[in-house]
Amino acid sequence: MTISLLAYLLIPLFSAVLIQFVSRNKENLADIIGNITLFAGLLNISYLIFNPVNFKLSFSNIAQDGFTLLMIFMIYLVAFSVSLFSTGFLTKEKNRHHFHSLILVSVSAMCGIVTAGDFFTLYIFVEALAVASFALIAFDDNEKGIEAAIKYFLLTFPASIFILLGMAILLFTTSTFNFAGLQNIVAGGYLSSPIMSGVILILLGFLIKSGVFPFHTWVLDAYQGAYSPVSAFLAGTITKIAGVYAVIKIAMIFKFFDLKLYKISETLMFIGAASILFGAIAAMRQKDFKRMLAYSSISQIGYIIIACGLATPLAILGAIFHMFNHAAFKTVLFLNGASLEKSLNTTNMEKMGGLEHSMPWTSWSSVIALMSTAGIPPLSGFWSKLLIIVALWEGGAKGYSVTAIGAGIITLAYFMVMQRKVFFGKITDAAKKAEEMPALMLAPVMILCAVIIMSGILFPYCYNYLIETITRTIL
Amino acid sequence: MTYHLTLFVIVIILAVIAVMAKNMLFSAIALALVSIGVSLILFTFGSPWAAVFELSVCAGLITVLFISAISLIQKEEKFLNESRIRFMLLPLALIIAAIASWIYIVPFFESLSKYPHLNIHNYPLGQIIWKNRVFDLIGQICILAAGVFAIKSIFPRPVRDTRAKDLLKGAEKVNNK
Repeated sequence: MTISLLAYLLIPLFSAVLIQFVSRNKENLADIIGNITLFAGLLNISYLIFNPVNFKLSFSNIAQDGFTLLMIFMIYLVAFSVSLFSTGFLTKEKNRHHFHSLILVSVSAMCGIVTAGDFFTLYIFVEALAVASFALIAFDDNEKGIEAAIKYFLLTFPASIFILLGMAILLFTTSTFNFAGLQNIVAGGYLSSPIMSGVILILLGFLIKSGVFPFHTWVLDAYQGAYSPVSAFLAGTITKIAGVYAVIKIAMIFKFFDLKLYKISETLMFIGAASILFGAIAAMRQKDFKRMLAYSSISQIGYIIIACGLATPLAILGAIFHMFNHAAFKTVLFLNGASLEKSLNTTNMEKMGGLEHSMPWTSWSSVIALMSTAGIPPLSGFWSKLLIIVALWEGGAKGYSVTAIGAGIITLAYFMVMQRKVFFGKITDAAKKAEEMPALMLAPVMILCAVIIMSGILFPYCYNYLIETITRTIL
Repeated sequence: MTYHLTLFVIVIILAVIAVMAKNMLFSAIALALVSIGVSLILFTFGSPWAAVFELSVCAGLITVLFISAISLIQKEEKFLNESRIRFMLLPLALIIAAIASWIYIVPFFESLSKYPHLNIHNYPLGQIIWKNRVFDLIGQICILAAGVFAIKSIFPRPVRDTRAKDLLKGAEKVNNK
């Protein structure tokens, strides 16, 4: 019997509607329903992934492959962390039931994206996610949030037009947009230039949605302007699933490098490298905590895109693992940013200092997350970056692999500067009054830190999982 | 070809009017006309079902909703005067895009006509919706739910934006006079 993953999509959708009816005047009930739904989903998907019986069968008893399972695990992990954190963060907010509904609908849409079997279904769920994330960005009703939401709207909906046009061309030329059908066409060697132009348009659309270097303007305002837990949710999963996931999927299907489509491959790799460098260098000059993290996010997405451009099996493995790691460490950093904002009422790093004494848990979880971001062994970020760099070196793109290593050093530098300014160094007046967050808000951060450390130390098992389950679909 | 071309041009002009119109009622009617034009195009391209849905839902149902909503907020709407000169760039950009697509996109799609079309599988509508693309229906429900929650979370809130406050104050003054 094959296990269907449809429940991961339908149950959050049901809970989202339920919250609206049940907890209109009882905001605490909305917190409870939202968190229980996500926690139950997280437990369930963990059971599917870590069950040795499933692993022995190489997950052939499950309707989708290991990549999808890992993505659903990532979505539920980040969503649950954000939801639990916001229970403590949004205590004064009166519209909390709308917030939880929107989070649950976006979880449902993201599960739809990762379980989709063709481009059209994927597109429909991407649109659903775009509507939900537009509302999430605009949820904080200051001017910045609304401006960011409008920018998001103006940049991502033209991207949808590119995707639609590309799909029309694919349908015209191949009469299918099913992933399996397209894989057969690629294997048969029937690729012609009109098919490729359709693929390029779809790729362009998803690159805009993922917010890499030339299309990054909406990312900065959205991450800075939105509520801090929403920024964590955006940076952790939404932009990854709405954009980067599709880019990885396209790279898996079309294998630009193998097919000697050097122009597409090189363009993607160039965009990735430019994104890595631009994000890292721009992050060094930031004074705002959240804006710096946004630039860092652009830089980290560059690593995934560069690996997609290469599209060898090792590079794809690296890209998938880095996407998972990025979700973990960037969510920790953004949630810690939210803690700082709540406790100091500012995100300006100039006004912070010496917070290590008053907020030790926040401080040391930030250290773990930033070390993973910068690629310090044995944390998980090191292994995924290593996979990508080795794949680049093996694929002959030595220049790009040196760029990736160099940018890793810059990443370490700006995070060290940040850590010194914010958590160590002289204690400022604002920092003296700061208090550590309650356990409810620290718990999600600690869970994510445990995931970062465990997936780093147990990397051989993670690698085995990736090889066993994902390579089957790549090759 | 001339028939299609005329329809396309009319639809685009009506769409620009729908975006640019100052009167919201006028805008809603232009949008309904766009839908009627689009459904005519869909009819002539051999997709009667899509045309029927476009005509009944977009031109019919949504227009009724829009017009009833506009009739509720008509009073406040009269006082919002803003300069729209910079938005005149929109038709200009559209003209440039139209000329560029005339040169590049039309020959490109004509060259695609030698490829096989989807019409090979001519399934009945019921099978397409309820069997082949049933997963998409969940996506549609997701979009609907997201849209409803988005509207509910964005709109019912106190006005904090200073500009909007000033506008409301101005409207109150005019009302008092």
